[in-house]
Amino acid sequence: MKQYRPTYFIGQAFAGLWRNGVMSFASIAVLMSCLVVLGSFSLLVANINVNLEDLGLMNEIVVFVKKEASESEIKSIEREIKGIPYVGEVTRITADEALEQMKEQAGEDGYLYDMMQDDNPLLDSFILEYVDGAHYSDIMYNLGQIDGIDTIRDQRSLANTMQSLKNGIMLIFSWFLVVLFIVSVFVIINTIKLSVYSRKSEISIMRYVGATGAFIALPFVIEGALIGLTSSMLAFLVEYFLYGYIQKSMENVIEIVRIIPMSEVSVVVFFGFAAVGILTGIVGSTISLSKYTRN
Amino acid sequence: MIDFTNVVKTYPNGTVALNGVNLHIDDGEFVFVVGASGAGKTTMMKLLLREEKATSGTITVDDTDLSKLSYFKVPYYRRKLGVVFQDFRLFPKKTAYENVAFAMQAVGTPSKKIKRRVPALLNTVSLGEKANSFPHEMSGGEQQRVALARALANNPKIIIADEPTGNIDPKMSLEIMNLLLKINKLGKTVLVVTHEKDLVDYFQQRVIMIDGGQVSDDRVGGMLE
Repeated sequence: MKQYRPTYFIGQAFAGLWRNGVMSFASIAVLMSCLVVLGSFSLLVANINVNLEDLGLMNEIVVFVKKEASESEIKSIEREIKGIPYVGEVTRITADEALEQMKEQAGEDGYLYDMMQDDNPLLDSFILEYVDGAHYSDIMYNLGQIDGIDTIRDQRSLANTMQSLKNGIMLIFSWFLVVLFIVSVFVIINTIKLSVYSRKSEISIMRYVGATGAFIALPFVIEGALIGLTSSMLAFLVEYFLYGYIQKSMENVIEIVRIIPMSEVSVVVFFGFAAVGILTGIVGSTISLSKYTRN
Repeated sequence: MIDFTNVVKTYPNGTVALNGVNLHIDDGEFVFVVGASGAGKTTMMKLLLREEKATSGTITVDDTDLSKLSYFKVPYYRRKLGVVFQDFRLFPKKTAYENVAFAMQAVGTPSKKIKRRVPALLNTVSLGEKANSFPHEMSGGEQQRVALARALANNPKIIIADEPTGNIDPKMSLEIMNLLLKINKLGKTVLVVTHEKDLVDYFQQRVIMIDGGQVSDDRVGGMLE
């Protein structure tokens, strides 16, 4: 029965890493940066998605009435809005109520709004809820037909803005990532090539005594995988602290935006990094070996 | 058994290294392959080791047609051959024992068998006491004997020695040749590529002369002038 010692392959892989220390370090640094960019980008997209979902839950449209509209005109607009099919509850917020709300939100600085009291620039508005998102455009069309409406604002336009922002980010980062991964693979290819080169005579002896390609290649593939594994572990640490820092600083600044806590995603990030890192290492080493392990 | 039938080898740059070689070597034979530099000896060895493929013609070794040998079967074919080089090609950081053992590890031999066989191999080449010496602590002749022990490690049917005495002094050369003869007596087919006329004349074995990519002489005895 054939017997191969796993310790031999792993030992050789570590020896290879050590022998070409500078190149190994470079490979790890490049791949790690690549993974951190990948992780940050994925987390950003995940956060945008979560917030988009939150926005989707708020099926609300705000209709602002023109400033010059009289009370009876406003009443008639309210009736018309309530008459639109699929519109649920309609709540009126007068300009004075709106100003009051703003004062409350401003807290200590609320007194600043006092000067507006006499000449309130705000508009009367209706908040209408709709039951089924499928009828959204019908409702918008019907609202557009009503006279005396100044502007219609809804979360959907914000959602659309975020969606296009997300698409833009995804496009830019995708290209960035592709370039970074190509660079990583090339650096790993060169590292493993050096490692193979320094063991050239050893490889030629192995071939003459009839060692199989797999036996010759395995230490180098493990070396590539080790580069990937080390990079992914370091990238995880960097990501963990970077994300934690950003999360903390964002919490105090923007309250409406929900940020996914790292604890919720750390397992996915960890295994994602490990998988991508190790795979990149193995692909890189396999490419660089093809020339040397041929008969 | 080794058979070359109308073997032609042309390299991509147009050099015709072998131009219709025909020869037959029986199991258990001892053969010198001689010829000037560039005559085609090295190409013959490369073809035998399946480092290169013949452009045309067939080479059969122990019932294996080398032109039909698939990529994956090449390592297993090579286990039938034991190779010795002019420059020994030992691992400098491994002892004599480890150098021989490595050849067995590389083909997945169980360690129990390795522990049993390596000392016996080193004794065969009279280096039992040097098992723990590193190559730099040994003479050229001793290093070549370690290389021979390694070539024998996986119990090959054929031993190919490419200028085995090229890097060692004449006295040691005789010893190495005697060792190769001893191995031949153990039933191995031995091919020795050399250009050392004195040795060839001294041992009076079959001599295949290669010239201009062809077999120019094939006889038992010394070398032609």
